[in-house]
Amino acid sequence: MQERTVTISNRLGLHARAAARLVRRASQFNSSVKLLREDTGETADGKSILSVLLLAASRGTSLIIKVEGDDEERALNALAELVEQKFGEELSDGVF
Amino acid sequence: MASSSVTRSRDVKLKGVPASPGIAVGRVLRLDERGRHQFYYIGVSAAQSRMEVRRLREALQEARAQLQVIKVRLAKQLGYEHSFILDAHLLMLEDARLIEELEHDIRTRRVNAEWAVRSVADRAIDAYKQVNDSYLRERTSDLEDVATRLLTILSGHDKFDLSKLDQDVIIVAKNIWPSTVAELDFKRVLGFATNSGGLTSHSAIIARSLGIPAVVGLHDVTRLAKTGNSIVIDGSEGCVILRPTKPVLTAYLAKRKREASHRARPAANTAQPAETTDGARITLRANVELHTEIESLPLFGAEGVGLYRSEFLFLTRLPELPGEDEQYDLYRKLAEATGEAGANIRVFDLGGDKLTLEGFEAEQNPALGLRAIRLSLRVEHIFRTQLRAILRANLHGRLRVVLPLISTITELREAKRIIADVKQEMAEARVEHNAELPIGVMIEVPAAALMADVFAREADFLSVGTNDLIQYVLAVDRANENVAHLYQPLHPAILRTIAHLVRVAESQQVALELCGEMAADPLQAIALIGLGIRTLSLVPGSIPLVKNAIRSVELQRVRSLMKDAMKLASSREVEELLARELPRQAPRFFAAWSSRA
Repeated sequence: MQERTVTISNRLGLHARAAARLVRRASQFNSSVKLLREDTGETADGKSILSVLLLAASRGTSLIIKVEGDDEERALNALAELVEQKFGEELSDGVF
Repeated sequence: MASSSVTRSRDVKLKGVPASPGIAVGRVLRLDERGRHQFYYIGVSAAQSRMEVRRLREALQEARAQLQVIKVRLAKQLGYEHSFILDAHLLMLEDARLIEELEHDIRTRRVNAEWAVRSVADRAIDAYKQVNDSYLRERTSDLEDVATRLLTILSGHDKFDLSKLDQDVIIVAKNIWPSTVAELDFKRVLGFATNSGGLTSHSAIIARSLGIPAVVGLHDVTRLAKTGNSIVIDGSEGCVILRPTKPVLTAYLAKRKREASHRARPAANTAQPAETTDGARITLRANVELHTEIESLPLFGAEGVGLYRSEFLFLTRLPELPGEDEQYDLYRKLAEATGEAGANIRVFDLGGDKLTLEGFEAEQNPALGLRAIRLSLRVEHIFRTQLRAILRANLHGRLRVVLPLISTITELREAKRIIADVKQEMAEARVEHNAELPIGVMIEVPAAALMADVFAREADFLSVGTNDLIQYVLAVDRANENVAHLYQPLHPAILRTIAHLVRVAESQQVALELCGEMAADPLQAIALIGLGIRTLSLVPGSIPLVKNAIRSVELQRVRSLMKDAMKLASSREVEELLARELPRQAPRFFAAWSSRA
């Protein structure tokens, strides 16, 4: 099992589009993906849009991504990168 | 009348919000299944539960297939921005946890698939309602939409195949959902009547863009109307008559004929100028909400766009807003399509009843709250991004910006300072743009109307927005049925306000335009030019009609008529004067038109 703490930094947080991108990416790997909200302790299944949306993680929320399985390292890197790149939403000057 | 034992009363008149003009007469097709679908609890055996799981999986597959088809149709019919919502629906249908929970319910609780869908959806909806996040709470309607689709498939009686209607219908529903619209066979749909919604609701926008009459905000029309009932929709007056008696029906059929003879046939007068019989030239421009409307503007003879409601393009996507490049693409298309005639882009008029941005809570009194320019100045980065996109797109045409809901000169100065700053930044960063961008002030607030001379000195043009101006001058929310009768565009207070603005614009030598629904009503449009307005902006579909009205009158006579009108005491007296005099002055158009309710 591997884990890493990331901070949601896109303006809108884990809303529909960002959550969809995260779920799609997580689903590409065999490993299980859990998201844990540091502040509230709530967890979500990273492969379920309904579950991820329920976290209501807004900008600034710290999440621990926990990945377990045969491709856990690749999965963790891919997901952390997606969050760090603000889900590819904020190109140019990062206004939106 | 002798009869009385009828169970269904006739001529039931309901008052709502006039969302899209015109009259439709036809049969009701009620779509109440979009709300809570019928479902039953059935206990099943272990063997049967395997059957139920299979039914569920097939239904999920069918629902996904339906949504894929709808998504393509919707993107084609209304543009990409409306199809976004369906992505969320598709992802929910693919959600492994949701599917697992459904199957678990069927297996362990031994229930039928319908019951499992209903109870799992209800649990999920409850969970979302607990979350303190308005955006998430709104997702419950998406969940409900998805659950309803599944239940409809499971229960087999797929009410109607909406894409293959065999007769003309008037849709009666709680609300018109984007996914429903995509399924409809538009050739067969004569109009909409809905329980909920205001002028800016989805139902209203869609009806206007399709050019069919609609009345929204009717509260309980779905309870009173049954499929197959006869119905009349008057989208101009904002009322609906259920099960009309013969005399009422005859009157509306006559009114529809009158309107139809004036309306439509876009090509008929597009080449003719909007000119009065004594040679005064009026400019008729288009109000645009949906991007797809831009292509059809030449059909109606619009001279550019007088009001581009920029926020409408993105309403289905809030709280997300599009980035600079995406906005640039849209504004560039607008600039190119309107060419020399140009287009006025009203900067985001968000807040109020048009949804709020994330991070701003609902207000007690949104009409008087943080909205429009107030919000743009508060959330400055959004304003700046929009300005950059406009300045870049301006290379391809003649764009202007209009600032909504200005109430003090400091707001105009602050906005101008930001615009100048953005231009300078772009110049320094060598971003290609056209800095020739006239700035207009929307006159919607009484304070701005009274201070118009001050604004005229510092703005490049003034644009009267009658919808809000009437609301604020008369202190009436027309979506509120208890006071809607007090929303009176021809109230002498409104006429005097507009006459004042015309005088100021003339003495200050500043351009004055007017947009709003008044401009789309032939009688009121003539009243406006009689007050001295020379440029009107209105829904494209009404331009040919208003042009015919203008071409039938003599400006000098209308001017003196309006001088008399301003001395009258009430809206009623003004209406009576116009209804009496205009048919005399311009029988060619108004003799057939008059006798309005």
